[in-house]
Amino acid sequence: MNLFLYLDEDTAIHRLDPRTKIFLLLGSFVAAVLFFRPAPLCALLVVLLLYGAAGRALQNLRRIWFLLLGIAVLSVVSWSVFARGTTPLFWRVTREGLLYGAGAAIKIDSMIIAGLIFLSTTRTEEIVLGLIRLRVPYQAAFAFSLAIRMVPTIIGTAVTVTEAQRSRGLDLASGGPLRRLRNYIPLLVPIFLHTLRNTDQLAKALESRGFGARRERTSYLEIGFHGRDVLALTAGGAILVGFLLFRFVR
Amino acid sequence: MIRLDGVSFRYRGAAEPALAGVTCHIGSGEVVGLLGQSGSGRSTLACTLNGTIPHLMRGDLQGRVHVGGEDIRARRPRELAGRIGFVFQDFEAQLFSTNVALEVAFGPENLGVPREEILRRVKRYLGLVGLEALGHKAPASLSGGQKQRLALASVLALEPQVLVLDEPTSDLDPAGRRDLLEAIRSLRRDRAMTLVMIDPEIDELAWADRLIVLERGRLAASGTPAELWGETATLEALGVKGFTLAQLASRLGLAGRWQDADQAAAAIRGAGWRVNPAAAARLRSADAEPAGAEVLLEVEDLWHRYPDGTGALSGVSCAIRRGEFIAILGQNGSGKTTLVKHLNGILRPTAGDIRLAGQSLRGHPSSRLSRRVGLVFQNPDHQIFAERIRDEVAFGPRLQGLAEGEIARRVDEALEAVNLAGAGDLDPFVLTKGGRQRVAVASTLATKPEIIILDEPTTGLDHRELTGMMALIQRLNRAGHTILIITHAMSVAAEYARRILLMRDGRIVRDGPAREVFADEAALLDLGLTPPPVVQVANRLGVPALTLDELVGCLERVAAGERAGGAGGRG
Repeated sequence: MNLFLYLDEDTAIHRLDPRTKIFLLLGSFVAAVLFFRPAPLCALLVVLLLYGAAGRALQNLRRIWFLLLGIAVLSVVSWSVFARGTTPLFWRVTREGLLYGAGAAIKIDSMIIAGLIFLSTTRTEEIVLGLIRLRVPYQAAFAFSLAIRMVPTIIGTAVTVTEAQRSRGLDLASGGPLRRLRNYIPLLVPIFLHTLRNTDQLAKALESRGFGARRERTSYLEIGFHGRDVLALTAGGAILVGFLLFRFVR
Repeated sequence: MIRLDGVSFRYRGAAEPALAGVTCHIGSGEVVGLLGQSGSGRSTLACTLNGTIPHLMRGDLQGRVHVGGEDIRARRPRELAGRIGFVFQDFEAQLFSTNVALEVAFGPENLGVPREEILRRVKRYLGLVGLEALGHKAPASLSGGQKQRLALASVLALEPQVLVLDEPTSDLDPAGRRDLLEAIRSLRRDRAMTLVMIDPEIDELAWADRLIVLERGRLAASGTPAELWGETATLEALGVKGFTLAQLASRLGLAGRWQDADQAAAAIRGAGWRVNPAAAARLRSADAEPAGAEVLLEVEDLWHRYPDGTGALSGVSCAIRRGEFIAILGQNGSGKTTLVKHLNGILRPTAGDIRLAGQSLRGHPSSRLSRRVGLVFQNPDHQIFAERIRDEVAFGPRLQGLAEGEIARRVDEALEAVNLAGAGDLDPFVLTKGGRQRVAVASTLATKPEIIILDEPTTGLDHRELTGMMALIQRLNRAGHTILIITHAMSVAAEYARRILLMRDGRIVRDGPAREVFADEAALLDLGLTPPPVVQVANRLGVPALTLDELVGCLERVAAGERAGGAGGRG
């Protein structure tokens, strides 16, 4: 079972320089925070989905659809109920509240999808290399990549621990609310201890393989700006300018 | 190359020192095997060699450690990384890259090796450990054995002068182990490399130049494999199993050192020993007994496909009878663990069915099945959570909603069975790995399952712990529990199991009595498995023996045989 988001494909998006993809990611974040209404955010979402499709990254949506849906439902429901508006629809829900909720949902989901596409098409090592070329210190960039790496490791541990405790008769869904919370103690303690020990081991392994031995480090991967990067950055920049004009000029 | 002078070390907070005045010198290019029971200081000693102790593990270090002329106090492990390679026991935690090639490249990158040279090393060392075709795979998606080989390649890529290996083959099947050791040996033909290796099996270290045995932090014995060949008693007193073939030789009163089963068989024949046909026939007939029992668990055309599409099981069928003792063998990734996870409902079949005493498991939650089918996972640390052993063991019975009195009775019984009576109030983490493994078995035992499944119950245990664990499992079997174990340790399977399931690529390719399966050496080799040394000798002599006692019991000296006809029968 692969717990990493990265998809080992060979697409035009994969071949882009990681710095290009970092800029595109940041650009999509800027575009997302510009708007509150659903219509332009939908346009942004479409652009992102096309970008993701080009990188064959959308298959990863299957893995986080529940997260995206959960955020969407929560956002629409809570803004509908709590936001004030002038055009009542039913009960205390107003047209403005509903639209604002929908906009917020698309905005947050778009940002998550942009991040997903980035991680699906860029190896952590490439991200590190890109960050270093952007003058981020190596140790900081590597710490960032370790954080990304920790997620699947912890999920893997959690799966095994859950299976082990279920084998002993643990039924997570049994009992009232308080009991259900307590059901998680036999999972959390081993996961926590195991992760701590793992981290300790990792520190020793990193050190013994020369991590931080020199200031200058060579690289197995090669990155560099090519024609496609210029193209991608130009296209991304043009789209962002379009969104900016739409927002501020009109 | 390595000089330890009066080295002592005590972990911070520990009462006893882990190393107490160890002095030893290891020459350039020497191969040294480190032996000792768990807690003897093997790993601690290894950790001083690249400065992990004292730089990364806190404690009080006395004496002097010099490696390649450098005082390890003055150099951090990362500064020594280009000269001293270290493969840690916990190989999972050593892998952190996105793909296999980048994992190998990580070390050379840190040392500033030019890119062209990194490319060459990645190719060379992945090829050496047989992973060249997997360069693009994620390390997390590899099997345990492949991860272990990758951990080795990623250290070899540093091209160190000294290589320290802490149990480098614990998760490998016999073929994988042989390949790995062959790879290391071929490397040493090209250039001098000093090797310090920890391995629980002395048989695996027969090719070393020197063996060092530690006991309670002291250097208790040392010598070439030839010198320690006949020292079985000395080694056993130090908690280390002696050479298997040496034990056989001494039981038969023969001198001489045998390199392999062929030599042993020839020497035994040459000394006038021959097979007692009646004793051999008795062994064969002893196996027929459990076939009459009822079928307890029936697996019918079981298929399993993981959510990401990889197929793990492709049509497994087998019937398990009450009271059987079965070992499932197979190479890494052959589907053994996936199969047993179906037997208690943790995984659900993609197709096919499993019946427990005639009833399909479909629709039965695993929380209920656990009372009848107990599964002990490989690593006890994936399940231990309580602060007292007693509470840990009581977890299962409490979930069943039993009365406190009954729970206490069961906990006492279970602790008694695993020889931990009286330890109930201790913290499980004060125990060794073997001790925690016993706590995990007790936890399962307390739910009184009819079937107990153990995934790799002996990995990481030393000789004494292993013998104790297997004796415990055998007692449970005799008390009426049906036992299923998954194991890489061929000697464990041969000695204890009566029936063997051989798996390959998600199928059972052979299912039969242990005696028959182990007699067919060619079929085992084809699956990357080899019988243990005793069975190899027995096969060459034409004896259906699985243990040392059985083998010796089937042999008689020609002259003695004419007189009494039972001279070999004394054990």
